Amino acid sequence: MRVVIAEDLALLRDGLVRLLRDNGFEVVAAVQDGDSLVETIAEERPEIAIVDIRLPPTFRDEGLRAALEARRRIPETAILIVSQYVEHTYANELLADGRGGIGYLLKDRIMDVDEFVEAVRRVANGGTALDPEVVSQLLSRRRANGPLEHLTPREREVLSLMAEGRSNAGIAKELVLTVGAVEKHVANILSKLRLPPSEDDHRRVLAVVTYLRGERD
Amino acid sequence: MSFANRIRALTYLITAVPLGTLGAVVILVGWTLTPLLAITPAVVPVLIGFRAAIGWVAGVEASLAHSLLGVRVSPRTRTRSRPGFWGQALDIVADGEFAKQQVFSLFRFAFGGLLAIAEVSLIGAAVAAIAMPVYYSSSHPDVNGWHVDTLWKALVYVPAGVVVLALALYLLRPLAASSQWLARRLLDSPDGAITRSSDQAGRTPSVMSTSLPEATRLARRQALAIHTVVYVAVNALLIVIWAATTRGYFWPAWPLIALFLPLSIHAWVQAVDEQPALIRRGQTRAFAIHEGVFASFALFYVFLWLASGGGYFWPLWPIIGLALILLGHRILIAVRQRQGELEERIGVLEDTRAEAVDQQEDELRRIERNLHDGAQARLVALGMSLGMAEQKLKADPEAALALIEDAQRGAREALEELRDLARGIHPPVLTDRGLAAALATLTDRNPLDVELDVDLLERPPAVVETAAYFVVAEALANATKHSGATRVEITVHRRDGSLEVEVIDDGHGGANPSGTGLKGLARRVRALDGTLEITSPAGGPTVLRAELPCES
Repeated sequence: MRVVIAEDLALLRDGLVRLLRDNGFEVVAAVQDGDSLVETIAEERPEIAIVDIRLPPTFRDEGLRAALEARRRIPETAILIVSQYVEHTYANELLADGRGGIGYLLKDRIMDVDEFVEAVRRVANGGTALDPEVVSQLLSRRRANGPLEHLTPREREVLSLMAEGRSNAGIAKELVLTVGAVEKHVANILSKLRLPPSEDDHRRVLAVVTYLRGERD
Repeated sequence: MSFANRIRALTYLITAVPLGTLGAVVILVGWTLTPLLAITPAVVPVLIGFRAAIGWVAGVEASLAHSLLGVRVSPRTRTRSRPGFWGQALDIVADGEFAKQQVFSLFRFAFGGLLAIAEVSLIGAAVAAIAMPVYYSSSHPDVNGWHVDTLWKALVYVPAGVVVLALALYLLRPLAASSQWLARRLLDSPDGAITRSSDQAGRTPSVMSTSLPEATRLARRQALAIHTVVYVAVNALLIVIWAATTRGYFWPAWPLIALFLPLSIHAWVQAVDEQPALIRRGQTRAFAIHEGVFASFALFYVFLWLASGGGYFWPLWPIIGLALILLGHRILIAVRQRQGELEERIGVLEDTRAEAVDQQEDELRRIERNLHDGAQARLVALGMSLGMAEQKLKADPEAALALIEDAQRGAREALEELRDLARGIHPPVLTDRGLAAALATLTDRNPLDVELDVDLLERPPAVVETAAYFVVAEALANATKHSGATRVEITVHRRDGSLEVEVIDDGHGGANPSGTGLKGLARRVRALDGTLEITSPAGGPTVLRAELPCES
């Protein structure tokens, strides 16, 4: 799997390159700023770009802007944004085009290598990976007495994992349940929230995230 | 008495020549003009100027007496006068200190000058005699009919010169003593220091006019009434005389006009003091009076011109001159006001700068402590876990794995702490997406029911955004931690070139504005020339309102 990395800090860049190579990825380029990211993606056509949100020269959200620009030009590129902080505002911007292949994770998650590698694969294959922190931000404010209040704690756990972009199998593994049990929970949740059932994991994420955003006051 | 002191005493005597002369000239001019102008209002400024000049001379004399004779005297250099135009003149004339200072000047002129000349001549003669052997051969001076043409004759003068010099130097002592006595007697005023306090009183004229005692007010009204009655009576009498006699040329016009001038000025001064509204905003009482005097004089000239049969409109020129003086006065006031404003501004800037520096210092210390107790400590623990894991890797892989997991958890926690700390210093989303987004995130993290209303068309300057953010953050934190509130309303909007931030909670109130958090906040806001208001009555609600100027 071909990967492009955009990260300005050498320490993290090299670590990330090594980690990905060790896990069977082909890192075709590692760049340091937004402009070269856009160019490199156009040239190399990687399956996924892993991008630090804060890049030179502005050290603001340069990486996010560059990634969105690259995706506008070469729509099949999957984007995984990694950052020292997450804001659901950015998640909204990333999800805005309604297509899969989007990830937004805290850099902390890289420490859990297996899970991180799994997330990279998921995103590269058109799935979604939203950081639990983003999901908890989305879930933190809910209308009193809204449908979310009627979910059981277990259902809420499942909902969070759905929003993160996990598949039913992934959720089952995480919560130590059978896939069948997870499917039942998912069906219950979707009916409680009056969302249409969907086979596609990414569509499901979009539906849930849109719902959660709408549920915020 | 040391030689240096004698030289100082001599210098003091010599200063009598210029200063005594100056004083005498001032007195001569002053007392020539005053009676000449006594029935016109011009006498008042003349007397004020006269008083100021004498006061100035007395001030210089006092400082000379201090530095050269070693006597400390503090003359009162201006007359404390009651308010009112004519009152000032009367008070000056009746001022005892003023009289004493004039007498002193006259003494200095008459005796000081003479004594100085005598002393200097004596010393000069003595020096000339002592030096005789040096120069006799070139000039062959005749002294009292004695033709000095040989060295012997010249040498005879040397002891005489020495005796005279000694006498001259000896005489300086009683002369200095009597000068000291004179200065103490005539220059020193028990309330010399009053100059300063009356200066201050002079700066708040409007207060003075409103704080006039009732008796004075009544007396002044009566004085104006009498003035008016006298004016009418005198003119009526003159007109009657005119009517009874020639009935030719209407000469009473002249006294009518001449006496009208002081009456109109008097009436105007009275009006200004009775009606503080006549003193326009930002102006002084003196300027208001000046305006009335200007108008009176202008009318006076126009009447004179009319009475003299018209013709070339010469009053134009004096009126222009007086208008220029009025303008100068106006400019002077503006300049002084501007100066006052600048001084005040400097004071505020000094204060807020000091506060900002303190605030920054506190903040840095807080961050340092946080790093030290938080992330640093966690990283140490993490390193220890990894170290132990390394030791156990071969012997006990299970335990090593557990330690590595510990280390990972530690790293995650350290990261979380650092992230919180970074957000507390400056939230990244504030820079990237502005105040509305940052506040949305902030309120999202808060467990209370928060209503956020941010209405901004464009982003304010970064420092203003940051301050506004921390105002809300602190208020929200207080509401959550201390107030027992369940609901918080936050509004942020632009109004008239400033950003208004308001945070209202429904808690039980009693917030302490001098607590560290709110005090730091107040400093932050003041450093931007903003204001922070906190009202938090017991029982609530707590309202925190900040106004941050932001020119766009």
